[in-house]
Amino acid sequence: MKLRKVVTVVEETRTEGGRAVDPVHRVAIVLAVIENPWAGQGFVEDLGPLIDEVAPQLGELLAARTMDALGGPAEAYGKAGIVGLAGELEHASGLIHTLKFGNFFRDAANATTLLPAVEKVAPAGASFDIPMKHVTDYTIRSHHQSVTVAVPDAPRADELLIGLAAANQGRPQQRLAPLATEL
Amino acid sequence: MIRKLVTVVDEIVAEPGAGATEPVRRAAAAAVIANPWAGRGRVDDLQPEVARIAPEVAVALTERLAAALGGAGAIEAFGKAALVGTDGEIEHGAALIHTPWFGDVIRQALDGTSIIVFSDARGPAGTSLVVPVWHKTAAATRSHYQTVEVRVPDAPRPDEIVLVCAAATGGRPLARIGDRTTDTATVRLEDHRP
Repeated sequence: MKLRKVVTVVEETRTEGGRAVDPVHRVAIVLAVIENPWAGQGFVEDLGPLIDEVAPQLGELLAARTMDALGGPAEAYGKAGIVGLAGELEHASGLIHTLKFGNFFRDAANATTLLPAVEKVAPAGASFDIPMKHVTDYTIRSHHQSVTVAVPDAPRADELLIGLAAANQGRPQQRLAPLATEL
Repeated sequence: MIRKLVTVVDEIVAEPGAGATEPVRRAAAAAVIANPWAGRGRVDDLQPEVARIAPEVAVALTERLAAALGGAGAIEAFGKAALVGTDGEIEHGAALIHTPWFGDVIRQALDGTSIIVFSDARGPAGTSLVVPVWHKTAAATRSHYQTVEVRVPDAPRPDEIVLVCAAATGGRPLARIGDRTTDTATVRLEDHRP
């Protein structure tokens, strides 16, 4: 894995709708900018070997840093894979849609559910929204949320931007009726 | 008073085309606050609100920078910025960052002595702000001239202001353009005068 930089973003929301958010709503996002391991190789049929090599390296790095940046238990989580303009969507998908990536985060967050994801091909500086859902029950409506991030100089055409996001609670001032009340 | 705080940390370990660098970290902390002069027309004396608001914000921002970068001792460069929502005056942002109630608090918290370099702007929520930083005790240190970019997707609202403090643990990655001493050794300025 050829790493160029790691970007960490922490958002703390203290008020929403004019009312205090207590405890403070925190979201941590950690993004790794790496060289696309398939860059310059044309259409590669079997992505498996490089997924096996790179996905665990990314998973380990990002899971530890995301939990560290959050500074407490995660109640909701999600992931992102953004592909530079010379790559295929399948390149980022390959690295994030594997247990070899996601299980590092599940273990670190004591989580069991599928990780919601954003995947897209985009220029450097593109804004993207990382969806998050509850770490053990994806039907818990209060925890459906997303966070917007962008890295000004990444991904370059031959790069991938791979990231994780975690929130310490549901949406600030969440007050919707639970799913069960509509069934 | 602070609606939201956003801290972004860049850890750079390589530069495009040039390979690995000495790792350097730079960070920006941004606080979203209500514009205290919103809806009041032209207010001549801005100082009461500045004295009430700026120190608390400067403390919150420098605490986050120090935590993100390994303490004031690890920080070599700093800068500041204000982004005013579309219904505010540029003077509102300037008032909050260009006074001792903001700048002195930053210098004290980050062990600096330099004047603090800045940027300011007015724009809609999600405006990206490029915040300059330079050396915290020797502003003319050329290797440390650099910027940190920060953007808060949902701020500033028209009646809000985003205040920013930025810092770096070193100079630019692979800095190698010398300084004033090396310039005078190789360049005769009289050759370039019209």
